[in-house]
Amino acid sequence: MNSCETIRTQLGMLLYGELSFDEEEMVDAHLEGCAKCRAALERERELHKAFDQLEIEPPASVLWDARQSLQQRIAAEHARPGQFSKGSGWWDQFVDALMLRPAGGTGWLKLAGALALLTVGYMGARLAPDLGLGTVGMSVADPGAQRVRSVEPGANGAIQIVLDETRQRVVSGDLDDQNIRVLLLSAAKDPSDPGLRYETVGILNDRAQTADVRDTLIYALQHDENAGVRLKAMDGLRPFVQHPEVRKALAGVLLSDGNPGMRTQAIDLLTQGVGEGSGNAPGNTLDRDVIGTLQELMNRENNAYVRQRGERVLQLVNASRDTY
Amino acid sequence: MAQKAGFQTDEKALIRAAQEGDQDAFGQLVRAYDQSVLRLAMNLMRSTEDAQDVYQEAFLRVYRNLNSFRFDCSFHTWLYRIVTNLCLDQMRKRKVRKEESSQVEGSDGLVDRMDTVQESRPEGDPMRSMFAGELRERIEKALGELTARERMVFELRHYQGLKLRNIGEILGTTEEAAKNCLFRATQKMRVALGDFV
Repeated sequence: MNSCETIRTQLGMLLYGELSFDEEEMVDAHLEGCAKCRAALERERELHKAFDQLEIEPPASVLWDARQSLQQRIAAEHARPGQFSKGSGWWDQFVDALMLRPAGGTGWLKLAGALALLTVGYMGARLAPDLGLGTVGMSVADPGAQRVRSVEPGANGAIQIVLDETRQRVVSGDLDDQNIRVLLLSAAKDPSDPGLRYETVGILNDRAQTADVRDTLIYALQHDENAGVRLKAMDGLRPFVQHPEVRKALAGVLLSDGNPGMRTQAIDLLTQGVGEGSGNAPGNTLDRDVIGTLQELMNRENNAYVRQRGERVLQLVNASRDTY
Repeated sequence: MAQKAGFQTDEKALIRAAQEGDQDAFGQLVRAYDQSVLRLAMNLMRSTEDAQDVYQEAFLRVYRNLNSFRFDCSFHTWLYRIVTNLCLDQMRKRKVRKEESSQVEGSDGLVDRMDTVQESRPEGDPMRSMFAGELRERIEKALGELTARERMVFELRHYQGLKLRNIGEILGTTEEAAKNCLFRATQKMRVALGDFV
């Protein structure tokens, strides 16, 4: 018979699933006949739950910042000899984009205030490798992005190469210019470059009072694969949280966005004012749809922090955790 | 299982491609792991700035040394070795400097520095109090009193969910030693929390 003292030293490891088969058998057998050790196991569970409270989930914006800084440092490394000399993927495109943008980090499109500058057709282009060796008689147009469409052996050992060229063109105008607006609305959905989408959504946020911009922000909030872009779109929609279509989109985020930081922000926006109790407005009411959404969230949420936030709001508005 | 095996095959291909200079493959490798690396660093360092430093340095080391990776262990283990070494160095430096309260002086008195990590939210957030309670303070304090290695093993097991065998591999020790370390850590935490839980 194992002593209670021996068994209790094993309870933590039991909860972590780190006991061997024999050890677990021994502990289980003891627990069946010992109420005090079962109570000790419950206390151990409570202790583990308490530890869980301290877990930090990095907000999407912090991850986004980290990725951007890393990209910049990799770009600097990239310039060093001996590092990844070939390739034209995501990193190269980022490096290429950096070369086009003024130094100084974020907000390149904002530099001219309300004046937007957009480089058309460059971002998604794949630059052809440097053809500087033995390209006699060949004009490599510059500036211009190129892509080899086809190659064909010709007569006398010559090779015929068909190049697609995408030339840069600079368009400028303010945010109320319809042409600029159309380009920005398109850039906000460009699947090839999250950095471009992030900057574009940031600019569009200043015009979220217009329906077409708001629709684009809602689209980004619901569909963009990058959490940083989704978060940026949510910022832009913040002043319009009372609009039904915005509330519907936020409810969708709450129930289906995979990022806990996004879900937390959605709770904040949908429950603005709840529990603040300022002046004569106690702020303890919430529309029925939001309560229903929160209750549904409680049924499926795995993240402890998001759950606690949701539960707290439901508690403040005297709603149960269960669905009607 | 088949899915995991598939991922490992894909990952091997990605690593090989990255070693040959395919930067898109390198980007995919970063994106596959960087969220968990940042989470680990934030939970250990309890400071966004320090966690960002660890993140940057870790992936730069991966970038510079990927060609020396020979598949003797999993990429995850190799990456986590780099991250945990960086964190351990930082944590030991802090101990020497006798840092580091999780609280800093703010305009409204002492403020928990991790509160600044959360996204901006409405004033008077009703949930904030949930995380500023005595229990949280006690656990924070107890965590701060663990040795760097105990803290690391506890973090990797409790918050990252890694098995002790894997933790031992990452930290260059045996499963048994990692188990003893975890046991000491939880025992110290239990004592520090007293009858609070």
